[in-house]
Amino acid sequence: MKKIITLICVFCISLISYGQNPLTIEGLITDDNDGQPIPSVNVIIKGTANGTSSDFDGNYKLANVTVGDILQFSYIGYLTQEVTVSNVTTINVQLKEDVSQLDEIVIVGYGTQKKKEVTGAVATINSETIDALKPTRIEQALQGQVAGVNVTSQSGSPGSASTISIRGISTNGDNRPLILLDGNVIEDLSVVNPSDIESYTVLKDATAGIYGVRAANGVILITTKTGRKETPLKFEYDAYVGFQQTTRRIPVLNATDYALLRNEAAAANAQPLPYNNIQTLGKGTDWQDELFQNALIFNNSITVSGGSKKSTYSFGSSLLTQDGIVGGPKSNFTRYTTRANFGTDILKNLKLKANLIYTGTIRKSLPENSLGSVLFNAVNFRPDVPVYNNAGEFSSSVTHPIEVVNPLKQIDNTFNRTQVDKLSGVFGLKYDFWNHFSAETNYQWNYSEVRSRSFNPIVDYGNGSVFNNTTNRQYVEGEQIFRDYTFDAFVNYENTFNENHNVKATIGTSVFKSTGDFYLAIADGLPSSSTFNNATLNDGTSITDPYAAISNRFFDSRLLSYFGRLQYNYKGKYLFSAVVRRDGSTSFGPENKFGIFPSGSIGWVASDESFLENSNTINFLKFRSSYGILGNDRIPAFGFESLLSGEGVYVFNDTIQTGTAIGPISNPEIKWEKQKAFDIGFETRLFKNKINITADYFNRTTDDLLLQVESSRVLGNNAPGSSNPTVNAGSIRNKGIEFQIGYKDKISKYLKFNLSYNVTTLDNEVLAVNNDIGYIFGGSFGIGQEDVARMQVGQPIGVFYGLQTNGIFQTQAEVNAHPSQSSLGATAQPGDIRYVDTNNDGEITIEDKTFIGDPIPDVTMGLNLTIDYKNFDFQTYLFASVGNDIVRNYNRNDEVTNLTVYSLDRWTGPNSTNTDPRLTNGATTNNLFSDYYVEDGSFIRAQNMQLGYTFNKEKLSKLKLDNIRVYASVSNVFTLSKYRGFDPTGSNGAAIGGGFDNGFYPNPRTFLFGTNIKF
Amino acid sequence: MKVNKYIFSVVLACVVLVSCSDDFVDVQSQNQSSENYFNSEQDYQDALIGAYDLLQSTYLNVMLGEIASENTLAGGENANDAIGIQQIDDMIHTPNNEQLRDIWGWMYAGVNRANFILEFQDKIDFPGKENVIAQARFLRAYYYFELVKWFGDVPLAVDKRILFGEQFDIDRTPKENVYAQIELDLIYATNNLPVTQLDLGRVTKGAAQALLGKVYLYQDKFPEAALILDELIETGPYDLVTDYNTIFENDNENNIESVFEVQYTDLEGAGFGCLQCSEGNVAVGFNGVRNYQADPNTAGDVFESGFSFNVPTQEMYDAFSDDDLRKDIAILNIDQWAATTGITFSTGFEHTGFYNRKYIPRTGDANIGDANLTNPNNYRAIRFADVLLMGAEANNRGNISDDKAQMYLNRVRERAFGNMSNNTTATGNALTTEIYQERKLELVGEGHQFFDLVRTGRAASQIPGFQSGKHEVFPIPAIEIALTGNRWNQNPGY
Repeated sequence: MKKIITLICVFCISLISYGQNPLTIEGLITDDNDGQPIPSVNVIIKGTANGTSSDFDGNYKLANVTVGDILQFSYIGYLTQEVTVSNVTTINVQLKEDVSQLDEIVIVGYGTQKKKEVTGAVATINSETIDALKPTRIEQALQGQVAGVNVTSQSGSPGSASTISIRGISTNGDNRPLILLDGNVIEDLSVVNPSDIESYTVLKDATAGIYGVRAANGVILITTKTGRKETPLKFEYDAYVGFQQTTRRIPVLNATDYALLRNEAAAANAQPLPYNNIQTLGKGTDWQDELFQNALIFNNSITVSGGSKKSTYSFGSSLLTQDGIVGGPKSNFTRYTTRANFGTDILKNLKLKANLIYTGTIRKSLPENSLGSVLFNAVNFRPDVPVYNNAGEFSSSVTHPIEVVNPLKQIDNTFNRTQVDKLSGVFGLKYDFWNHFSAETNYQWNYSEVRSRSFNPIVDYGNGSVFNNTTNRQYVEGEQIFRDYTFDAFVNYENTFNENHNVKATIGTSVFKSTGDFYLAIADGLPSSSTFNNATLNDGTSITDPYAAISNRFFDSRLLSYFGRLQYNYKGKYLFSAVVRRDGSTSFGPENKFGIFPSGSIGWVASDESFLENSNTINFLKFRSSYGILGNDRIPAFGFESLLSGEGVYVFNDTIQTGTAIGPISNPEIKWEKQKAFDIGFETRLFKNKINITADYFNRTTDDLLLQVESSRVLGNNAPGSSNPTVNAGSIRNKGIEFQIGYKDKISKYLKFNLSYNVTTLDNEVLAVNNDIGYIFGGSFGIGQEDVARMQVGQPIGVFYGLQTNGIFQTQAEVNAHPSQSSLGATAQPGDIRYVDTNNDGEITIEDKTFIGDPIPDVTMGLNLTIDYKNFDFQTYLFASVGNDIVRNYNRNDEVTNLTVYSLDRWTGPNSTNTDPRLTNGATTNNLFSDYYVEDGSFIRAQNMQLGYTFNKEKLSKLKLDNIRVYASVSNVFTLSKYRGFDPTGSNGAAIGGGFDNGFYPNPRTFLFGTNIKF
Repeated sequence: MKVNKYIFSVVLACVVLVSCSDDFVDVQSQNQSSENYFNSEQDYQDALIGAYDLLQSTYLNVMLGEIASENTLAGGENANDAIGIQQIDDMIHTPNNEQLRDIWGWMYAGVNRANFILEFQDKIDFPGKENVIAQARFLRAYYYFELVKWFGDVPLAVDKRILFGEQFDIDRTPKENVYAQIELDLIYATNNLPVTQLDLGRVTKGAAQALLGKVYLYQDKFPEAALILDELIETGPYDLVTDYNTIFENDNENNIESVFEVQYTDLEGAGFGCLQCSEGNVAVGFNGVRNYQADPNTAGDVFESGFSFNVPTQEMYDAFSDDDLRKDIAILNIDQWAATTGITFSTGFEHTGFYNRKYIPRTGDANIGDANLTNPNNYRAIRFADVLLMGAEANNRGNISDDKAQMYLNRVRERAFGNMSNNTTATGNALTTEIYQERKLELVGEGHQFFDLVRTGRAASQIPGFQSGKHEVFPIPAIEIALTGNRWNQNPGY
């Protein structure tokens, strides 16, 4: 400890610079390639804060320079050059373009590698992209940026999560990739401040095999910002403020049209007309107008960083707060973070790194994306009911179906708050010895507390609603504590033999342990004086503990791993790499606890061959391929063991009695699932490195897929607290092509641009489901219609399963000529949907259900454009998804609820339409799940446009500032899509049952104004 | 020196880790293993509560049994609301029916939980163990009786659970053999259960006798049925509640007429995601009046709203004579009720104007959400009135004693009319017909009628759409046949 304090003192002192015999140096900075002057190049005296930058004509002037000082010239995209000052006062510099981002170092797990020598499909995103996108969550910075990585938001509400899938969906279980933040496992991405991120590295293929059992869904390595050695103390302040608004309202009927159509529906069923005086109704209430609001977003962060000869340090703090476009402060997300990174060379060959991150988040949310959620209600609530009744109270939901209530009243009566406090730390040592060896050990840990509170006030929405709470004020308090650590230790050996044979070997071990405790208490019968703010558990007349019955209050999962990697290359031209990892996981039973995961990859840098060496066209060309076996242990714990974790609760003497019962059905034979991942691709740079292309073909087949398969219920698997067994019972293949092309050029000394485009195709097919019925079902449509999405052999996972339609019956003769639809629940009449007799048995039954849509896009794309002109910079970024379907499930289809304007095109008589069925209050089968409800969810979205202006440095130097940039940005600018719901980009993320839109909370359009100041 | 210290610590860390043995990933669950249990009386008692738990899921058997009969229509919100229920109402059900699969699965869950105890019944001894075993055997019999009633031949597991993998080997057992096991279990229960239990809600000797009598009756074993039912009627502690109107109210649960009662409470929340997890009577919310609204403290403020399923038909209502006191207690005539109390309601699918008043939501419960699923109304599974009518039937149809049969029947009638002027003097087949009709009236809304019609061969004449030779049992869920390896034959006609 003493030593560390001494070190800190030493490097603080070293920050103070000394000056003597001042000179003034000036000169011109030009591009080595084309002789064009380069503006805005940083010129500093190495190891000091004394610096300037070149003007628009490439000229610079720097005073107070001493002979012997080293001038450092640096500019993005160019190699940094250093010149030692002699007596000459004019120093002209030609900067070389940094062609070789090839010399760039890539993190590949337990070590780094030169990008040129990487043999896997590895993509990197750096902080510039993150800075440009201004995401509130780190996943958003991956959306559309990396080929093969698909990010869909689970909701547009503040603080809600996104689903990340890398190269397709390989299980109906947990598809999340392994995400490591400085080596630290991270599950909840909302706690990370995006501006703390230095880079992302995405391991997409068998290269991820170094992470063995956790690699099957890909690996994302995130590095946080650190200081740089020998740089002076620097401050960076970043702030933006803006507002968000909805991008879309679903067009629903106004009160007059509503009444007309309701009358028609009643007449069709020979009922009296509900509305006799339509003229007075007018437009009525537009519930979505009442609901959507402009909402504030505000973020500021400060980073301090620097470094001495031996040490680096970086410190950051940030605050983000974001209200919702629905519910405003009732749908708020607030995050505050503080971070400190420190690194030092204790000895020349012993390096220490340490960092500590604290994050707090507070989230308030409203019911979302389900039957009876706020937006669902806004779409379905009657337009002829005012928001407030004559007494000035929220109007009641009389006659509505019991799940549909006044959405404003619902917001008013929703009270909840979830607070997360998380502390993470990394401590690492690296020791170099015997010239070629280094040993490294890292200890990473997380501790988080999640505390939640919610309060159910007395509320009567009317109509016997399921949300009514007539007598029982309820208060719920929960606490979850999560702790985990990862301990890695490994030794590297690196040597070159006979000048040409480069060998690098790594062996190591990794231990991971994650535990958690859950507490939840429900207090019922609170007094009338209770409010959300003052309620405590003790106020209740009774307190229940839901975990009393299901004793899964605690979890403990662990991983024990050994790994080895051998990398060899000949002259940096022929590249080989092999990895083997042995993992033991608590997820598996004694027989199958340990698994071995090998992978290998090869590469050939063709551009280093004599026939290409001097090519002017092809500056770089590398072919590479990889193959490996990866695992996945994200399955429910203790699936191999029959435990008394079920729910056995009964009532004696009018008192709840808690007993014991068997939990999930066990399968002692659970073993590793094995994903065989194959990749072949190439990377090239053409035309003076202006164009770069990366292309890959991948094929990932997962066998022995661990599934909770539908099983015979004679096993008792649908008893309370039980569930289907986890079985190695499936196989899925994901294959596709990734193609990425970038083009950057400088048109004049003022105008530069950078354009990149990526496209991924994905073909997902279920190859086997070994549970005797060949499928697993999920999803839910309308009220209680089940088995509407499947994982079934020959189909993509999550395929929609319903009736196929063939237009509308126009006449009774057409009905008579068609197989009977009666067994679906009602006899067809003209104006009803005609279903296809897919099994040709002469009758339409639920056996005629077939595959009617696919939630997985065939193709996803991203496009990024950056233009710099003088002091202005402009960025835009678009992404697109083609070929995914969405199920329209936000209509309640009740005889009272509102309808969308599309119902104005309904069937009204022979040949009126062949698309939308008639309206009737009578019994029909038109509400059964069919392709009538499936829509094309393809879209193109302009995700971000940003215009920035950077002030000239000369002017800033008077203010002692290095850099000021101001910008305005719009995110989610526009979306082109045929989809009629709120937002085609959303999905609940479920592999089976995703793509059902219950009134998706749309991603807001956000206008931001911000500044970035460096000094 | 310091250098060496650091090197030492790095090396030490490596050594410690490398020496970390494979035991590191052997973690014991906080939950006990099911294979290493039953080490104390408490363990048996706790597992027994787990076996009782599935009784609560029989709400569906009761509701669907009623809907399958001619007494009620499916109702609900629309023609597709719970399509499986709608199809059973219309006798157009197929092997793809979610509700039938629920009944199948929940009853097997109950069987497995009872068998879990019986599998380990010899592990330890303690005083009163036979009471625990007898309760477990009663519960197994209860669940198997439901399975046989609904599905006919079913896989039979005795004193062992059906474990994962065994579903591919187990066959359907002829229902006679299943009945034989049910009888063995109930005879054991009859001989080993006390007349009264310390806890209200536990199975008693009388419950076992009544169920055994019922099981005999279902097999037309009239002498056996008469013997056990007579004994129960004569020696048991049960009697009719004087006022029919009070039987089904929540403040009169576990009354003297309840021979066996399934216990529910409103003290715990529930959701549609796991109906079988509810501690409330789910059927009650389903049966409730759609959008029922009464002003506080008015005469109508005694019921709460529900989903308007299981609505009695006009014919059912009319089957009661006007001087039958049960008429407006068993069935709620909603228009008449609204006219006198000023309550409002809305109409659902197949609205008849009638509701199953015995089992619709009452005010006064805690209404913990979802309030429709947490109604505390206990299900009076075997009422003494049912026992009397069964006793009457056994004595009459078994040609044992029509006098006794008349006496039993008249006890029920006297309460129903509040006088003796409706007492029967019929004998023989005429008496049989009167007993049948009395069962229909007395027990309407309680889920018995469909099975009574089937076992007495009258279903085809009473239930529209009922096909003899097919609808006596329900289809085995097709998915269950597939998931056990496609070895079972479907029930005839499906």
